[in-house]
Amino acid sequence: MSELRMDLHTEPMILSMGPSHPATHGTVRFLLKLDGEKILNCDTEIGYLHRAFEKHCENGTWTQAFPYTDRLNYNSAVQNNVAYALAAEELLGVAGKMPERAVYVRTIMCELARLADHYTNLGAATLELGALTAFLYFVEARELVWDLIESVCGARLTSNYVRIGGLASDLPEGFADHVKRVFATNREHWRQFDKLLTKNRIFMDRMRDTGAISAEDAIALGFTGPCLRAAGVEYDVRKANPYLVYDRVDFDVPVGTTGDNFDKYLVRMEEINQSLRIVEQLLGKLPKGPININDASVRNPAKEDVKNQIQSMIHHFKNTIEGITVPAGEVYVPTEGSNGEVGFYLVSVGGGKPWKCRVRPPSFALTQGVGEMVKGAFLADIIPTFDMINLIGGECDR
Amino acid sequence: MSGAYKKVNRGVTLTLWERLYFPEVIRGVLIAAGHFVPNFVSVTKAYFGGKPSDRKIMTIYYPEEKPVLPEAYRGKPVLVRARDGRGKCVACGLCEVACPPKCISIVGGQREDGTRYPVTYVLNGAVCIFCGFCEEACPEEAIVMSDRYEGLCEYDRKPMVYDKEALLVPEEKLTRRLDYIRRRMYGKWNY
Ligand code: SF4
Ligand code: SF4
Repeated sequence: MSELRMDLHTEPMILSMGPSHPATHGTVRFLLKLDGEKILNCDTEIGYLHRAFEKHCENGTWTQAFPYTDRLNYNSAVQNNVAYALAAEELLGVAGKMPERAVYVRTIMCELARLADHYTNLGAATLELGALTAFLYFVEARELVWDLIESVCGARLTSNYVRIGGLASDLPEGFADHVKRVFATNREHWRQFDKLLTKNRIFMDRMRDTGAISAEDAIALGFTGPCLRAAGVEYDVRKANPYLVYDRVDFDVPVGTTGDNFDKYLVRMEEINQSLRIVEQLLGKLPKGPININDASVRNPAKEDVKNQIQSMIHHFKNTIEGITVPAGEVYVPTEGSNGEVGFYLVSVGGGKPWKCRVRPPSFALTQGVGEMVKGAFLADIIPTFDMINLIGGECDR
Repeated sequence: MSGAYKKVNRGVTLTLWERLYFPEVIRGVLIAAGHFVPNFVSVTKAYFGGKPSDRKIMTIYYPEEKPVLPEAYRGKPVLVRARDGRGKCVACGLCEVACPPKCISIVGGQREDGTRYPVTYVLNGAVCIFCGFCEEACPEEAIVMSDRYEGLCEYDRKPMVYDKEALLVPEEKLTRRLDYIRRRMYGKWNY
């Protein structure tokens, strides 16, 4: 056999995987150089979903950017809303003046979004490895979480929930009970998912020791979130640089050792449990009170006031037509999205429109690591590696 | 507060029993059967004379059954027709500027009695992103997000451009939403 091989003239094969391969969800293209099934080189091409998000934001008022932030990471839209609002509030100088209830509700919604994101990611990953049953259990869990989100925001994906200086709406009546019911079901689904996969030999063979990355490489490539922690780096924005009320809740952050796909899977599985814990704690402590800042120049005043007070009416018209007046300056506020660090870098030159609105999407940094992680592996290893990266096209390409 | 970084257990080892493989396959099938059998029984029961609520499954039989939408749901934006038959809109144009994709266009006018009203009010449903900013901007509660989600897609873009007549909905039919926005969204106690 080896003699035959020496005589044969072989050349590496160039294979273009994607942009519409079933496993490259989010439209990305891998240009692969293959020796048999072995990957010699992998070039990742992104940009198929570019929608000029940043330019859009610069053309609208500060408030009008919210619906566009929904469409970044559409699995956890509320987190993007929150990240943008926190940055804008920092720039406005009202960050410390937010009502307690609004901050608590924002945290709860962020964690619910994280749940939905992890359910989708893990479910889709197992689906692509052939485990359809497990996928259905997590999709059911995600649907239930999205029902919760819908009952608060009015939409499952395009939440558009957070506003600068407050929230669009308060939690509905009976929300805590609804959460309790959903979490009971979801814990059951989690147990079954875990039983079906964590000790499943086929699953372990596909996941363990594939797509590994060292901590140094992960840091050098700008990894954040579960993928960085899977490599053993103890960094979570919620712990390292607490925002909202994360310093007032009790939760653990799972970290892995080798950064392979199995570690990423385990980290995400554990984060689901921790998110459930956070939401339960916060619902127990949820303070009563207003959800919006009582400052008509930042948050549109109540409709009653708009009708009855000339001052409020002027502010309402001014905020809507010209946008909220944000003083000149620049700001970057990092938050922990479900995929990694989501941050908005905003520049204002005064006036009602962002002069520059730059988002730091976690997927972008993670995607540049794919080539590194699959080099030398088999073609089939791209699937779990890419799944565990959780590329979201809307966020990566913006 | 407390809480720390914790290592996950990646060294999952299989016992001999698990390595025999076939018992594990049977265990997995049993988990799936734990879902399948109750679902199957409940669906069969509902089919043969039971109530639809007997069906303990996630999905519903759309369009025979309709989902129960939460109050917060944002469907097609509609104009409120007050009880006297007139639209509530005073053509102030705030929704027009608040709309991020700029899908509303209004031409305002004045009635004989001096009240303002929109002579034409066009909302391009093909462009609308159902964000709800028009509802938030309107000082008159004249445009609200209804719970209508059906019939919004067409094969052609022309019928998706709604004029005033296609948008006006009597106030009686929107009481749930109007009550919700007063209670949970733009009421004074939320500020
Ligand atoms: S819901 Fe949003 S996009 Fe649609 S008309 Fe209202 S403001 Fe415009
Ligand atoms: S904001 Fe309300 S009152 Fe003003 S034009 Fe729009 S619908 Fe009419």
